[in-house]
Amino acid sequence: MKSNQRGMMGSMWTQSLRSLLPWFLRLSLGIFLFRGFAEPLTAVPLDPPQRVITQKPQVCVHTRLIDEVYEGVIQRSLQMVREMGADTIVEFFPWAYAEPAKRQYDWSNFDRIVKHARNQGLHIIARMGLVPGWARPEAEVANSTLNTLPAESYDDFAYFVSQFAGRYAGVIDQIIIWNEPNLAFEWGFQQVDPIGYVRLLQAVYEPIHAANPNAKVLAAPLAPTLEPPGSPNGLNDLLYLEALYEAGMQGHYDAMAMHTYGFTEPPEAPPSTTALNFRRAELLHEIMTRYGDGDLRVYITETGWNDHPRWTKAVRPSLRVQYTIDAFRWAETYWPWAEKVCIWAFRYPAPTNNYPDNFTLVNGDFQPRPIYTAIQNFALGRSTEEALWLPAPSG
Amino acid sequence: MAARPFRLIYTILLPALTLWVWLLVIATFSLRWFSIERPGPPVREIFPYGEMRVGVDASYAPFAVATAEGLFGLDIDLAQAIAARLGAPVRFVNMGFDGLYDSLKTDQVDVLISALVTDYSRTNEVLYTLPYYNAGLVLVSRANQPLTRYHDLRDQQLALEFGSEADQIARRWQRRTPMTILPYELPSYALDSLRLQQAQAALVDSTSARLYRREHPTWNVLFTPMTDSLYLLATRRDRGQTWEAINRALAELLDDGTIEALIAKWL
Repeated sequence: MKSNQRGMMGSMWTQSLRSLLPWFLRLSLGIFLFRGFAEPLTAVPLDPPQRVITQKPQVCVHTRLIDEVYEGVIQRSLQMVREMGADTIVEFFPWAYAEPAKRQYDWSNFDRIVKHARNQGLHIIARMGLVPGWARPEAEVANSTLNTLPAESYDDFAYFVSQFAGRYAGVIDQIIIWNEPNLAFEWGFQQVDPIGYVRLLQAVYEPIHAANPNAKVLAAPLAPTLEPPGSPNGLNDLLYLEALYEAGMQGHYDAMAMHTYGFTEPPEAPPSTTALNFRRAELLHEIMTRYGDGDLRVYITETGWNDHPRWTKAVRPSLRVQYTIDAFRWAETYWPWAEKVCIWAFRYPAPTNNYPDNFTLVNGDFQPRPIYTAIQNFALGRSTEEALWLPAPSG
Repeated sequence: MAARPFRLIYTILLPALTLWVWLLVIATFSLRWFSIERPGPPVREIFPYGEMRVGVDASYAPFAVATAEGLFGLDIDLAQAIAARLGAPVRFVNMGFDGLYDSLKTDQVDVLISALVTDYSRTNEVLYTLPYYNAGLVLVSRANQPLTRYHDLRDQQLALEFGSEADQIARRWQRRTPMTILPYELPSYALDSLRLQQAQAALVDSTSARLYRREHPTWNVLFTPMTDSLYLLATRRDRGQTWEAINRALAELLDDGTIEALIAKWL
């Protein structure tokens, strides 16, 4: 009886397996076909080599490509940057992505951006930062951020940046060291430390030049802010820049990166130590001049206006267009020291669903916002007569 | 034979009755036990610093705005309501949007209340609460000519803000259903267009729609949600007790109508 039961069970198992077989085959075929379709999403053929046509070589844009999953999105972004008439992008190259373990490198994410930028005829200004976990003290990793760079890791950072500089020599010759170190958030939520930042510059300067003699080390752009000394949030950018000079920054950088935003004011609004507006860059340049570095080139690596309807520091879209174009004209006319004026930002890898989305030039579907078209018309010398939207309804 | 009914009573009915009585007693005590209102965990267990430290970017009206008199807005009121429910003092830490999550990670704050939506790339470090507001897109149409699906927009005129998310979605709709898109500079102009009978519908975010309706209280319109953009609070993943307490307080505020009243106050 028992052997009979076993026989019946065995036969049921065999039947079940037989009935599953077609499904298994269908699943296998499905996976095979999906792979076939999925492949083109990741491997993108290059365009024929492109060249940027522009009448305004100052025009530049900050991209956010490093977190893109699909190579096709990187390519499309860079095609549109070229078509807009910008010949240069600023892009973030995070240390944590390329050196996940000490002296073990994975350049693949960086390579695909560089490959497509070159293909589109674009120059790259690289921004370096973001600390891997192994370069932070183990006890602090849980409560530290990717912006926490302990002084004992400066040499590791310098070694990484020199590897980067050597690998991309001739392709990326402008390297920004860190971002907005005058903000506590960008300094790992620690008290900001101009002396520490100068030590960082000193650590990277020689190794970068040894790896790429043509490289330009750009001092970090400072965040426009009025935070007073001792504030837990950061330090006024003008005070911080002076502190950098006092700490011996001179001779350890080749050019200055700057961030300057217009917020709600037009670009021609006069600068003031108590106001944040586009021409605050002039105050920073005055400090450079006072310390004898007035002849160094300046790269405005972030600027622009925001047109979110509910951000308190935004303007309406038509003003954003007007102010941005006027800002380019202002820089062209009055800022001979400004090498590039880069708009923040081309497109985000994912929407924030908040006001930062309205800094972008195109939306997630690559639909140009009015600002994209306006910059394109400006850079290509086209007329801007065509209206993008209907006039306000009147009853 | 006469003993049989008694045997039935002793062997089946009596034990069954006893069991039912016991079950009833247990159920009654359980109900009573669970209905007792117990004090939550002490504030120090929920918030290690003895106060609810709230990270907020107070530059986003009407959710949080900084003025010389202090911080105001829906998110500010919500934080105060949650803190009151938990019996904790509240302290706001105003910062830029970019620094919000890092401030949570570095223990500068206990919770973020700043018109945030789920960021899936952060869910290994962050716990999100229940949503308290949907800022997604709404299709606005006149109440006497309701349009509630994109199919209803066939051969109609749809007003929207040029270059916005609404524009992005409407262009996708347009591929399936022929319609005329009327692009305007501002969401309020798109709503003007509908109100002034120049369009049959407008696609705008729900916040713009609500604020516009406040300005035109007699305008009889229908809002049909089209997308979700759910605002929620964020806490650290390794502070489960904080998340649990805040989420419970939020659920109570949703249940008792407090949040609806706060939304009505600001939007």
